[in-house]
Amino acid sequence: MGMEQAWLLPAIPLAAFVFLLIAGPWLPRRGDWVAIAAIGASFILFFPILLDLQDAVKHTEGFVGGGKSWDWISYEGFNIKLGFFVDQITIVMLIVVSSVALLVQIYSVAYMRGDARYGWYFTVMCLFVASMLTLVLADNLLLMYAAWEGVGFCSFLLIGFWWERRSAAEAAKKAFITTRIGDVGFLIGIILLYREAGTFNIQEIIHFAQAGGYSSTYLAIAVLFLFMGAVGKSGQFPLHVWLPDAMEGPTPVSALIHAATMVVAGVYMVARMLPLFEEAPAVVLDIVTILGLITVWLSATMGLAATDIKRVIAYSTLNSLGLMFVALGSHSVTAAMLYLFVHGFFKAMLFLGSGAVIHATEKQDVSELGSLRDKMPITSLTFALGAGAMIGIIPLSGFWAKDEVLVSTHHAQNIFCYIALLASLAVTGVYMTRLYVLTFLSTPKDHHVYDHAHEAEPLMSVPLIILAIPTLIGGLFVFHFFGKALGFPGGFTEFVYSVEPEKFKFHVDVAVLSTALAGGGLILAYYLWEVRPALVDRIRTTFKPIAILLERRYFIDDFYQFIINRVILGLSAVIAWFDRTVVNDTGVDGTAGLGWFAGRELRLTETGKLPNYALAIAGGVVVIAILFLVLEV
Amino acid sequence: MIPINDFLVLGTILFSIGMYGVLARRNAVLVLMGVELMLQGVSINFITFAAYLDPTNATGVIFAIFVIVVAAAEAGLGLAIILRLFRNRQTANVDEADLMKW
Repeated sequence: MGMEQAWLLPAIPLAAFVFLLIAGPWLPRRGDWVAIAAIGASFILFFPILLDLQDAVKHTEGFVGGGKSWDWISYEGFNIKLGFFVDQITIVMLIVVSSVALLVQIYSVAYMRGDARYGWYFTVMCLFVASMLTLVLADNLLLMYAAWEGVGFCSFLLIGFWWERRSAAEAAKKAFITTRIGDVGFLIGIILLYREAGTFNIQEIIHFAQAGGYSSTYLAIAVLFLFMGAVGKSGQFPLHVWLPDAMEGPTPVSALIHAATMVVAGVYMVARMLPLFEEAPAVVLDIVTILGLITVWLSATMGLAATDIKRVIAYSTLNSLGLMFVALGSHSVTAAMLYLFVHGFFKAMLFLGSGAVIHATEKQDVSELGSLRDKMPITSLTFALGAGAMIGIIPLSGFWAKDEVLVSTHHAQNIFCYIALLASLAVTGVYMTRLYVLTFLSTPKDHHVYDHAHEAEPLMSVPLIILAIPTLIGGLFVFHFFGKALGFPGGFTEFVYSVEPEKFKFHVDVAVLSTALAGGGLILAYYLWEVRPALVDRIRTTFKPIAILLERRYFIDDFYQFIINRVILGLSAVIAWFDRTVVNDTGVDGTAGLGWFAGRELRLTETGKLPNYALAIAGGVVVIAILFLVLEV
Repeated sequence: MIPINDFLVLGTILFSIGMYGVLARRNAVLVLMGVELMLQGVSINFITFAAYLDPTNATGVIFAIFVIVVAAAEAGLGLAIILRLFRNRQTANVDEADLMKW
């Protein structure tokens, strides 16, 4: 068992999905144990692969990854191979996906208990995990694209899991269509890359590009189309609108799909294709950075005004994704993957924590919560850890990852970009603290809710506690001694890199600045919402236009709705009119009508009288004879 | 030798008389007789051309024999149909047998 058998990881959940689809309704407990066992098996099988990879890294000079591929289509020189590929980036994604998926599944047993479609939930989750692992392990763009659409489809099914609720059905539709806009770009990018290189294999395409196979404009266009897919999937501006609405799905779904795994697929894809982005003109990576930065600022400020607990966390996810793209725009696979790694755990923990709150109170608006710390100590503590990691409090995992992003930005980007990123940390500090204070501290706003709140049951709190461990000690991974002890060549920066391994350096100036800003935001928010809540209302009245702008999400959703209503539906109406009158009434009905009319008129020649027929024959012969004479054929 | 035109004119006259009979007569038996005359006019044409243009081969003559055979069969069939028509409707007038129309 090693890297060559990596296909087993997605194959097991896929088999479980097929089995549950057929036999699920007749199984005891609707087959949730099948799903958990399958994902648990994938999680366990991850470790032999990790050991094999560590071995290969240790013993191979210039290791670029291993795997296995098979012929899919092989026909007279036309050959398409599909296969699986494992390298350092893959391993980081694999551990996040398999471990978070397992914990979320266990949590879901309690969270989804008693739901009418309990079995269906676990069935779709199996398909999601299978698709996600395929996406991570794919060695070629074709398989990656198929899995990419697979996770999108599962996301659609799970956002609309409670489709009886109109808002859930609409959110599912919105997510599907918005990401589809990006996916079309992704597909175009794949086709453009294939057209010149003649292969879908990622490594071969990268070699082809590095050998100068693409002209620089062509490559720029192709990778921008690829990036479009990442923008859609990872919720970057301007396609970020679907992610906050996706919170209509069950909370464990948000934790797994819309925080830890699927939404980072875009980051993963760009990280994997980063050599292509670097071969293309510099403007491409500038676009990546700028969109990331815009997303960071938009989401952080919108997080200030949102009142739905899950929505705030969704904005923080957008914020984190923006940070990862800024890191990628700064040529740093290391920083992006480190952030992705720690983010997967602490963000999943935040979502599962909010799920515990929602489960206990059946409310998810912070204006109805408050002071839950006394009632839910475990949830409160883990939530505080997650929020702290998100803000970047030393020594939580988020601090190290975020500083790595800042350092890479400082190296690769101009000073404005760096300052903008630093300043956003203060906003992050404010809205995450605000969320924590309003939910767990301050005063209970609804006493009925407060009195009935209770700590989550063990099935839900144990995953929270387990997720708190990587949040607490995740930062250790950057240190040489810790990585060495686990069998890696060194710290995270010496294991996952794009050009060459680099020993982790602690940048005191960056750390001090970021801690000061994040801590300042934290203290400000604590003062505002805990100590002087009245001040918040006064600020809101003073800056009313800004508050409304934030609450209405910069009117971006309204603008899109306007475009859809006026432009798209207007064009559709024109096309519908053309289809109805020209194509249908004239083209289709007209042809049929012509035949009908001709038949109705011509039948009158059928008199039934024998002499008429005889005359027609004789006359016809005469006419033909005359014609032949005249035309002298 | 008799000129070829004489035979062709004979064939045409026979054909025309037959056609007049088919078009003008109302009695089914007479219509059938008109058809027979037309067929024989055509047969004369065949034999004439066979004799004058290609005397070594008997193609035209064989065609004429075929026409006669077919005409005999057709007459038998036609008369049988007319007989059924008369039995059913007490008439052999083709104008009255016009059920098969729009």
